[in-house]
Amino acid sequence: MNPAASWRSRIRGQWKDWLPVLPFLLVCLGFELLPLVFLLRGSFTDGQGQFTLDHYAKMGASVYARSFSNSIMLSGITGLTGTLLGTVIGYFIYRLRSSRWRESIIALSDVTSNFAGAPLAFAFVVVLGSSGVVTMAFQEYFGLKIYPTFSVYSFWGLVLAYTYFQLPLMVLLAIPTIAGLRPEWREASLSLGGSPTQYWRYIGLPILAPALIAGLLLLFANAFGAYATAYTLTGSRFSLVTLQIGFLLTGEVLRDPGAGEAMGVLTLILMGITIGLYQIAVRWARKWQP
Amino acid sequence: MSYLELQHLNKSFEGVVAVQDINLSVDQGEFVSLLGPSGCGKTTTLRMIVGFESPDSGVVRLGGELMNDLPPHRRGMGMVFQMYALFPNMTAQGNISYGLRVAGLLRPEIEERVAEMLELVSLTEAAHKYPAELSGGQQQRVALARALAIRPRVLLLDEPLSALDAVVRVSLRQEIRRIQSALGITTVYVTHDQEEALSISDRVVVMQRGAIEQVGTPEEIYSRPMTNFVATFIGTVNQFNGVLEDSAQGRVVSEGMLINVLPVTDGQFNSGDLVTVLVRPESVHVSPLEEVTEAGKGNHARATLEGVTFLGPVTRLSLDRDGRTITADVSTQERGRFKRGQALRLSFSPEACQLMLSPTQHPERPNSNTA
Amino acid sequence: MRTRNPVGALTIGAFLTYMLVPILATYLFSVATRWDRSLLPEGLTLEWYRTAFADRWFGIVFQHSIILSAGTVIASIALIVPTAYWVHLRLPRGRALMDLLTTLPFAIPTVVLALGIIRLYARPPLMLARTPAVLILAYVIYTLPFMYRPIANSLEAIDLHRLTEASQSLGAAWSRTLSQVIIPNILPGIVSGSLLVFATIFAEFTLATLLVGARYKTFPMQLVYYTRRDGRIASAYSVISFTVAWLSSMVILWVTTLGTRQRGGPRAKTTAGHN
Repeated sequence: MNPAASWRSRIRGQWKDWLPVLPFLLVCLGFELLPLVFLLRGSFTDGQGQFTLDHYAKMGASVYARSFSNSIMLSGITGLTGTLLGTVIGYFIYRLRSSRWRESIIALSDVTSNFAGAPLAFAFVVVLGSSGVVTMAFQEYFGLKIYPTFSVYSFWGLVLAYTYFQLPLMVLLAIPTIAGLRPEWREASLSLGGSPTQYWRYIGLPILAPALIAGLLLLFANAFGAYATAYTLTGSRFSLVTLQIGFLLTGEVLRDPGAGEAMGVLTLILMGITIGLYQIAVRWARKWQP
Repeated sequence: MSYLELQHLNKSFEGVVAVQDINLSVDQGEFVSLLGPSGCGKTTTLRMIVGFESPDSGVVRLGGELMNDLPPHRRGMGMVFQMYALFPNMTAQGNISYGLRVAGLLRPEIEERVAEMLELVSLTEAAHKYPAELSGGQQQRVALARALAIRPRVLLLDEPLSALDAVVRVSLRQEIRRIQSALGITTVYVTHDQEEALSISDRVVVMQRGAIEQVGTPEEIYSRPMTNFVATFIGTVNQFNGVLEDSAQGRVVSEGMLINVLPVTDGQFNSGDLVTVLVRPESVHVSPLEEVTEAGKGNHARATLEGVTFLGPVTRLSLDRDGRTITADVSTQERGRFKRGQALRLSFSPEACQLMLSPTQHPERPNSNTA
Repeated sequence: MRTRNPVGALTIGAFLTYMLVPILATYLFSVATRWDRSLLPEGLTLEWYRTAFADRWFGIVFQHSIILSAGTVIASIALIVPTAYWVHLRLPRGRALMDLLTTLPFAIPTVVLALGIIRLYARPPLMLARTPAVLILAYVIYTLPFMYRPIANSLEAIDLHRLTEASQSLGAAWSRTLSQVIIPNILPGIVSGSLLVFATIFAEFTLATLLVGARYKTFPMQLVYYTRRDGRIASAYSVISFTVAWLSSMVILWVTTLGTRQRGGPRAKTTAGHN
């Protein structure tokens, strides 16, 4: 058979193999890939359809720049506290003697890591709002007026609410990682003269590090993309990237689609990098804890 | 003189006794094995020496110094684990140098010592490999080098060869012994494999259910077991239960069979005692009936060959004498002389007999039918 | 060596308090007559629930959310199961592509997805956006990771090729093989994926609000509405929302520990669904 014909029949054969997955690919194309492509295109297009960099230039404006810095700060802070606290908590849960307690707490973490969004935001209002339970308790028992110095509707209120679902997520990620630290390593370290601190410094933490970094990255992405919690808690009072984009979308007429698209693209780049680094960290973690 | 001393060590876990009144003295430079089946307390004893478990009562002393209150990282003991326990995030070199880094030694000294250790276990070319890239045997050698690098006063090994395959096990145990001899380090070695213990130890401590059954050289343990457990745990042995009719003459009657043993001179046994006579299979000589053998003080009997088991260099014969089975080992080369069902003469000398008080012998209890 | 560590107990105690107080407060608030002046509720009542149920919107939004959840589950299964099966069977090179497509949604925040879809479809002549159907398709993409992972794990755990060959050698066509041989064997994966998707979509707010909005009100949207109008009704809605969420988590946990141990399960979901 001459090479051209064989090449053609190979393509034809291969092409047929891809038919059954076509519906799925079409949906992915239509609702996952094309929207992103058009987003990219739109961010470089002005109202008349001409190429422009204006939208990106606008990002320097305080309203947009502030939303980015707020989002990054919020995600960074809750990511960091979530990672550190979550690991410590996970460590203690792992060391619990009673397996019944341990499994119940893990189940609880599993369930609460999904409690985000409006119900959670509302719950925090009930607890820490102007007449919230804890607010009242502090007033009654300690004579302290938390509100309005600490307002659950402010940045730090958001931090508290976000941490609520970040913590259990990290706990769930941390426990199997900590379980992977074999007790013999600790014993070997001791037998070689290493104190418990030195064990953590030279062996424990270095082995945990990739998993912790992966957790941090995941938590960061998780927080950055959150919308409902912040929306319910702060309405449009507080400036976050996701809220800003949402704000541009609400109403029948899109207010400034180009700016929205520029924000969207920048967000995607940031998320893409974060998740990409996350995959690397996960692979690195797997090297030492098969 | 005694360097490592264990005195009246006791340990229980949640009400279950793991170790009961353990007393042991190990001389400097000596290689002692703790041998026994799983659950006998040997690992618990080792862990109490190194400090991972604290004894409920009793004392561990090293060079006269009390160890009980010292945490494990201050005892100066090196330990080799069954599952190697190499730190996965460090190379072989990193692992070996760990104890030295932790002790704050200077770089040049560390490098020198590490090179020395790698040389000692013949792994110089593997210095930069990670544990995942090494075989089981190699990992264990790195673990050994790591423990030795800190120049420990005592080397402790917890079933170090159990996770390795048979061929590696034999060569590595010889290497461990060679290195230990060369360095003269006091060593305590835990194993359940009697061949291992017998082949490389200066002394063997046989343990069962938390207590020491016997301590002795490998030869003593094998040829002169002092308890029923030791006799049956180590190798195979023929047991003849009976009564010591005449201690001065050394005559035992067992199920209608007269056995001549060495006369009892040390008063350990009295006439009338219920005893067990132990004879190792290799001491039982077997010959066809037609062959003439000298009579005399030796023990002779006729038996029928029932079973033949090929064991490699040796073939094990199961002989039936009036319903009782006697085991004899013959060199495989001779195996052709014997056929199943054949009537044979077996014999063993009085010197080959080890006398022991019968396990059912109990002062309070009246004598019942034994065996 | 394992002594009872007071620091550990304290830490866990603090963690549990932090996790449980908001939930318990919400539950209590939903049955309290008044609770804005004192430490404890002044009285107990079911009035808020009665009011919530009496409102005709309650039934409507509940129904809408169920339809969206169920619809997404069905659409997901219909799209993903045959595709995953085919890729694992015949298109090993497609595996990498599948992995990429199904983990990509993790990197796309819901608002950005909403933005992209609206900009793409809201231009004439394709004024298709802002219908429940589009929302469901968006949801399918959004929950791709949650549905694909358990199914892929199940497929990897069984001997796919042998089963397919055996089925075909006995005369079964593709659809038979798939429905009667493959699917029963990967059922745990499908079930746990479906429960996850169902629970996630039921509580999803962002895409619903931005893509369809008032035209097709959902349960979470109504909840948010009440948070700004009447906190007590909102708390009743919250309680219902919480209860649906943890009920489905329990069922998922139960299913994943039944029979075959899935490597997916709770950890398949690495980002919370509806932040």
